Amino acid sequence: MNKQMFAIVDATFKENLEQLTLHRMPGALPFSGKYRLIDFTLSNLRNSRIINVAIFPYGNYRSLQDHVGSGKRWDLDRRRDGLFILPPKNLYIPPDEMITFQRLFEHIEFLRRSTQDYAVITGANIVWNIDYNDCLEEHINKNADITEIMYQQIRLKTFIISKKLLLEYIETYDSLEYKTLLDLVEKAPNLNVNIYKHKNYTRTINDTFNYLKSNLDMLRFDIGMTIFREDRPVYSKEKTAPPAKYLNHASIDNSMISSGCIVDGQIHNSMIGRDVIIKKGAIVENSFIMSNCVIEENAHLNYTILDKQTVVKQNTVLEGTLRIPYVSQKEQIISPFNGIRVLLVASESYPFIKTGGLADVIGSLSRNLARQGIDTTVIIPLYKKIRDSFGESLKIEFTKTIIYGEKRYKVSIYGYLYKKVKYYFVDNFDFFDYEGIYGLENDTDRFAFFNKTVVDLLDDLDPYDLIHIHDWHTSLIPILIDNSSHKGVNTLLTIHNIDYQGIAKNEIINKLGIKHFVFKEEHINFLDIGINTATKLSTVSPTYKEELKYEYYGKNLTHSLMRRERDFYGILNGISSSFNPETDKSLKVNYSKETIALKLDNKIYLQEKMSLPQNKNTFVIGMVSRLVEQKGFDLILQVLEDILRDRDIQFVLLGAGDEYYVNEFTKIAERFPNQVKLNIGYDAANPNIIYGGADVFLMPSRFEPCGLGQMIALRYGTLPIVRKTGGLGDTVFKYDPLTEKGNGFTFNNYDSHEMKHVILGAYEIYKHNQLVWNSLIVRAMKSDNSLVKSTQKYIELYKVIKET
Amino acid sequence: MKKQIVAMVLVGGRGSRLGNITKQTAKPAVSFGGKYKLIDFVLSSLSNSSISTVGIITQYEPYELLSYIEHGSTWDLDVNEGGISFLTPYTSANGELWQKGTAHSVYQHLRFVDQYNPDFVLILSGDHVYKMDYNLMINEHIKNKADITISTFKVHDNPSRYGILELNELDQVVSFEEKPIAPKSDLASMGIYVFNTKILHQLLETKEEKIYDFGNDIIPLAIKKELSIFGYRFEGYFRDVGTVESLYQANMDLIDNPHYLKIHDYTDFPILTKSSNLPPHHIVHSKKINSSLISDGCLIYGEIHHSILSSGVLVSDQCIIKDSIIHANVKIGKNCHIENAIIVEDSVILANTVLQFDEITVVDNEYLWKMGEQNE
Repeated sequence: MNKQMFAIVDATFKENLEQLTLHRMPGALPFSGKYRLIDFTLSNLRNSRIINVAIFPYGNYRSLQDHVGSGKRWDLDRRRDGLFILPPKNLYIPPDEMITFQRLFEHIEFLRRSTQDYAVITGANIVWNIDYNDCLEEHINKNADITEIMYQQIRLKTFIISKKLLLEYIETYDSLEYKTLLDLVEKAPNLNVNIYKHKNYTRTINDTFNYLKSNLDMLRFDIGMTIFREDRPVYSKEKTAPPAKYLNHASIDNSMISSGCIVDGQIHNSMIGRDVIIKKGAIVENSFIMSNCVIEENAHLNYTILDKQTVVKQNTVLEGTLRIPYVSQKEQIISPFNGIRVLLVASESYPFIKTGGLADVIGSLSRNLARQGIDTTVIIPLYKKIRDSFGESLKIEFTKTIIYGEKRYKVSIYGYLYKKVKYYFVDNFDFFDYEGIYGLENDTDRFAFFNKTVVDLLDDLDPYDLIHIHDWHTSLIPILIDNSSHKGVNTLLTIHNIDYQGIAKNEIINKLGIKHFVFKEEHINFLDIGINTATKLSTVSPTYKEELKYEYYGKNLTHSLMRRERDFYGILNGISSSFNPETDKSLKVNYSKETIALKLDNKIYLQEKMSLPQNKNTFVIGMVSRLVEQKGFDLILQVLEDILRDRDIQFVLLGAGDEYYVNEFTKIAERFPNQVKLNIGYDAANPNIIYGGADVFLMPSRFEPCGLGQMIALRYGTLPIVRKTGGLGDTVFKYDPLTEKGNGFTFNNYDSHEMKHVILGAYEIYKHNQLVWNSLIVRAMKSDNSLVKSTQKYIELYKVIKET
Repeated sequence: MKKQIVAMVLVGGRGSRLGNITKQTAKPAVSFGGKYKLIDFVLSSLSNSSISTVGIITQYEPYELLSYIEHGSTWDLDVNEGGISFLTPYTSANGELWQKGTAHSVYQHLRFVDQYNPDFVLILSGDHVYKMDYNLMINEHIKNKADITISTFKVHDNPSRYGILELNELDQVVSFEEKPIAPKSDLASMGIYVFNTKILHQLLETKEEKIYDFGNDIIPLAIKKELSIFGYRFEGYFRDVGTVESLYQANMDLIDNPHYLKIHDYTDFPILTKSSNLPPHHIVHSKKINSSLISDGCLIYGEIHHSILSSGVLVSDQCIIKDSIIHANVKIGKNCHIENAIIVEDSVILANTVLQFDEITVVDNEYLWKMGEQNE
């Protein structure tokens, strides 16, 4: 029994494991056939004889609770001490990188009551075998205040600290500038930090690549024996299944197979969970198959992760890669891929009409879907602008009469085939024949009519497997489908911008002929109706999806989104391969990650274009953005002068927007003529000159569902400085001097001083550590945010919707 | 604390006909089907029948069994009232010492039964292979208003090995003969009985005759007393694995006749067994594995045909294992050829050993040492 240490198991952070963590926390993920990830942490605690353990869970911890039970398996069902699961009290604290002092404060009683003098804080998602007593011994010998445990260059979010010191931080969490122990080790001065280097195999499971890789690593004898040791065994919940059974056609090499399996097929280099059935002729390679899956005759799997109870039908081929494995969803039934017919409905699509990012997404997603063999149709309204530029090439394919309210309207449907995508344009004189697209008095009527027309048009088109709708403009389609003969057709609603929701008078429902509608308020909310009626929902990044569950981000729709939590996905947008510094014609000099020195010529070119003093050593901050509050301009205005004063820094801004910000920036530009240049108006200059020429790219957004600027900057090797929110958090990883990782710089709070601190931190590295800076550029340019990847995710989601 | 049913499980038998397999372990602790021990079947049946007041009467080499069963949590038998009690032989004031037979051992522990004041006592054996919902039998017992009900199964081979029952059209027992030379029917007693508690007391406390055994003494006495005795026709799979041959055959039934015990179709009626806490087995590069059962923690390089491997077995390169049963933690060196063998737990087989037999042979370390000496 360990009288010196108690343990805090941090299961508060959510990793990007996609649909695998839809129903469970990372700690509850199955591993190596019969284990769950948290078994490794709990067994390490047990084998270190620690008997006082608190698990701090996040979100849906049912499966974790079920698995650990009373903790008996790890000798934690005790009279004194034992196992505690301490749930969040305040559901409005969004998850952070690791457990915050604030979250610990909620259960400070647990810490006060613990009789042991030292705390070990560790995660629930690490595969390793470690004796924490060794770490404590070193901690005490080195007289450290805090010991961080690392493996090679990986931070494991595992620390040893005295209870006394930890309590001090927790009790004063509201006045500290550090939120977590990670922050503390990085920033706190006068603290004796010790790094304990763990030598044996260790892997943190924070994405599907690491998840599959570490499972397959267990098949290597040299690695497996450092994890499954006889002297420090790994314990798991007791379950009963008969021995695995091999029939006459089984053929296996280098694979681990759990109890209860019935194998008549081939298995190569794979990890198979309990009670899996692999039938004759099936081939499973380089995969992790969780329990109760069925692989039917002649199916072929390579680099896949199948969640529990997945059924792979006869002759189905599933092919992933080690980096991007194919991941199924729990209970999914996967049939051979015989094509999906998808209809995208939106208010705009590039190249026909564009006011913002939505048009780019619809245009590029549809094109990439078609390229990957998906039968894709897009329907948008025929605005005057489209008629003016494309009118001559469009052909009328249908004419329809649409009843809306008391009236009958004549509608013409024009067709056009653009890069394998079938486009239909809905033409009606009363509703769409305007100069403007949005912001008209009757917007809600216009788009309600558009929705009605689309659903009526389904009568004339071959059936679709799925209708993918976008934002409030198309949100009434699911409820209209339910009220039509097409009831049962699946819909996916993607939320790009939750700020616009389509608030309208109740009478619209009657005009649309929807019966039995329960009115909640005096007004209807298009987006809310869509959220409640679509088959599945998605938004444009995994982090934003999590953030929307908090009122700060999700606003009035938080409740509806929470209700639909299990049908809600986050899929990151991607950028087109045409963003490429190797071929971009607008750059002065093309460059690649092998020739980053050439990037400096583009800096000179940028300075020249902006008529700034030309100096390749000057630190150039670039921005390409709409000038609106959301993008964080208040923060910049507060501290920009401080940052520029007496430093070799230039600031270049391209954008258009609120007059207030334009005026304020103009004033600063007048005061710092050699350091600040504005380029107002969206088309003023080619933004790629900034992407190519600047050193860093600033995006301090208050919120950012996905964001494309930072992805382009990464590809051009211009290091992003961003607030860690939404898609920014999913694409930019902060430079960590301890591990030499990351592709940019981030800060957490919407706070101008935090931002300034991070900008100046980057400036220091730029000025004094060119080697580190260059390695950051290379890592940035290696980041993969391609459209191909994002399209692939959408296709996987389409299949899930079709098959469940 | 009143209980309707108390189960008494007799696990005392040595099972001497199993030879070296039971040299150091009681028969109920003998390994079966890779992951199981014989005792799992009766305990799982009790668990699946929701009978949780269980006395386990031990005698021969009880240590392994005791430490295996513990509080019975594996079978969810660790309940607050009742649960599992181990009943060991004891010396009392009147000098009773060693249990003289099955009935005598129950007689010794009647006080255990009485504290629950049950309506019925279920007598079970710890070394049979079957899955049975005892409630079906008890319900018939109640319906028939019987004093005693004996569970029976249809014998397909050599009925003379068993106690044979003759039933009338109402399923009442007409006659009973232990190991008859000329059997009157093909219905054999499974050694599973339901007694009304009062009747059990009367029979066990009889002074006029020596009462040692259920089959030899109690049942004939009950028939003599013209008590109401019924037979219960059990239709499922049942094996009394008293000999090496029958133990081997019952094991192989798991592979050859999967419909008998249905161990792979187990959600309704699982056979529960203590988890070995081992990782899944690792097949490193064997390309030939067929018609076999393999348990957790095995490490396999060689070929396996029509065999059953318990947990933690090592099969090295170029080995061929055929028609054999390998118990837990057996290590087999390179280039061994094993056929028609039962290899007992913890045996170590050196490289290049050939163990090919015409009839099923039990191999343990002692056997291997002798073999080594002969070769020298």
